[in-house]
Amino acid sequence: MVKIGWLEKWTLRFAVAALVWLAINGFEGVVMRTQMIAPEAVGGLEAALNLIRPAAHTPSSAEVYYSMLTAHPICGVYGFAYMAVMGAFYFLVPTLLKKEIRHKRLVPINFWLQIVSVFAAWGAGFFLLFNSLYTLYWPLPVSYDRVPLIGSIVFAIGAAGIMINILLFSYNIFSTVLSKSNPHPYSLGQFLRSTLGISQLLKWLGKKKADDPQPDPAELPVFIVAVARGSVDTVINAVVLLTAGALILIYGLAALFQTPLNPGVVSALVYKNWYWWGLDMVADGNVLIYTAGVWYLLVPLLVGRKLYAESVVRTVILADLLVSLGVWSHHLLADRPQPLVMTLLSGQFVTWGEFFTMGLTIFTSLMTIWLARPVKFTPALKFVLGSIFGFIMGGTAGLIQANVGLNLVLHNTQWVISTHAHTMLLSGLGMLIFAVIYALIPMLTKLEIRSQRLVRLHFWTWIVGSTAMAYAMGMAGVQGMLRRTLYPLPNPYEPHMAIALVGALLMTIGFLAFLVNVLWTLGWPNTLSLIVSDKWLQTRFHMAEP
Amino acid sequence: MEREERIWFGALILVFLAFNAITLSPLVPWQEWLLWSQPAPSQRIAIEFGNYQIKLPPQGIKVKAGEYVEFIATSTDVTYGLGAFRPDGRLVFQMQVLPGYENRLVWKFDAPGTYAVRSTEYSGPRHPEMFIKDAIQVIP
Repeated sequence: MVKIGWLEKWTLRFAVAALVWLAINGFEGVVMRTQMIAPEAVGGLEAALNLIRPAAHTPSSAEVYYSMLTAHPICGVYGFAYMAVMGAFYFLVPTLLKKEIRHKRLVPINFWLQIVSVFAAWGAGFFLLFNSLYTLYWPLPVSYDRVPLIGSIVFAIGAAGIMINILLFSYNIFSTVLSKSNPHPYSLGQFLRSTLGISQLLKWLGKKKADDPQPDPAELPVFIVAVARGSVDTVINAVVLLTAGALILIYGLAALFQTPLNPGVVSALVYKNWYWWGLDMVADGNVLIYTAGVWYLLVPLLVGRKLYAESVVRTVILADLLVSLGVWSHHLLADRPQPLVMTLLSGQFVTWGEFFTMGLTIFTSLMTIWLARPVKFTPALKFVLGSIFGFIMGGTAGLIQANVGLNLVLHNTQWVISTHAHTMLLSGLGMLIFAVIYALIPMLTKLEIRSQRLVRLHFWTWIVGSTAMAYAMGMAGVQGMLRRTLYPLPNPYEPHMAIALVGALLMTIGFLAFLVNVLWTLGWPNTLSLIVSDKWLQTRFHMAEP
Repeated sequence: MEREERIWFGALILVFLAFNAITLSPLVPWQEWLLWSQPAPSQRIAIEFGNYQIKLPPQGIKVKAGEYVEFIATSTDVTYGLGAFRPDGRLVFQMQVLPGYENRLVWKFDAPGTYAVRSTEYSGPRHPEMFIKDAIQVIP
């Protein structure tokens, strides 16, 4: 058994919680996919879950399906992805800056508040049958003839908790970067200059010699720059979704106290613009910027070479932030009252900004690997390459649908949610998070990943499974299958859904191989040390000196 | 920027220009009237959504192939979607139906036949019921 430090332990705890949410997320995905091709196969499970659902009536299969569909992205994004990111950043940011976390007490608070809040928002769907979907299109979340009132209120409270927790986390990260507790303090001015790319701007304006070394000695590591810029999106996302949650909560409480408010006073179109502007700070903002930052950090570490074209990279991250502020209209291409100039500019052309920023980011990462040849394909590097593949596939699909012409036949189809969204999340972001975990475990515990065979099994089942699932669903979408519709059987999309289910099961095999490998690597005593006290463990296991 | 990066950036610009030029042009057939010519429709068809129902005009929807028709969809409660589908399930066109707005879309059916109408946006657990087979009849 090894002694794991305080911060390292919290990082591992965040990772464990993230993986639990991913397991729940995968379970939901498999159940919903099964319901689409063989509803009788999930009838027993549905009946069993209905026993613990405090609903006034026995819900229909459709109610259960849409409630699960509402819960699904909550645990996938705010349970799995956000908890993994929080854990990784809480370790990487202070380690790279050689600092302590500014507010250590916030770390466990962030951990528990995220779990409790995600559980509330997720449980509002899974148990209380709140079924408004994550899109929350106004006024559906406050239409109590369609969604349960208590479920709506609990969802809003859970969502608010998540957003407040994200703001606390972002505050802690920013204040850690700015804290003066180490040999490399950064003033607010230096921080802003570095994160906003002022040095590069001065060069362009001729105020600084073009051959000046880049980055400046005072500049932050490129990963920290990405975290800072991505966190701007994270904060905007949290604030906007907090307002949406507060609105739903106000209507819910008013209805609860028999003084219902008129939903008609809120414009469905204005609300939709506001909501998607905020929500896109995740989908087209921090996901891309954090991903770029992690590639910029991991790739040089894994191949032992300086990042290719670092000065360009800093500009690219800034461009990423600016682009993310203006792309939301691609979610409103099917909304005819939305002004054409918005759909063309924000919906289509600005979205293509991501093609340039991600195109350059991927080129930089691949060039760094190429110039470092020969390289050892460690588990982390394999998964980094897998994540690049995922972002290329999912990003390309996204550009095809974010088009005023093509969106007419792709909007709300399975193409959008699978070929684009699930590929980005499972092949792209999912494989990146696995890469980070594979890279961090040896750094945190000094233990090497035990089985390369299990890594290979994990890699191939995950990438083949996620691609098969995305491709099958995408082809169903091209043939007209909508993403939020339960089709009666028989229907022409059953073969597609069957292949998608096989893909999901392949990913399940990969995930289990990953869990076995991680547990085997850590061993039971180290794993137990994440949930029980060291004192208790010391009485039962011999603990090595750190 | 290094030389390889400049070449790559140039390639990205070419892809951007080519893809957008093609998809904004009438090579995508409906761009011709939705984006460029904006013709006057020969017929206006009002469809009302509400309480999980799609209310078509009492006389049904009968249009001529090759003529421009305008669909005007409204909602009395939540957001729905108006989608026209071929008999094999493939999507012809769609738009969101926002409450509080007149949602308008001009379309030209290129071939005679019958088309189904389905709500393309989730509006609550009974959303899958919002389907009308053979709702649009397109005559030669």
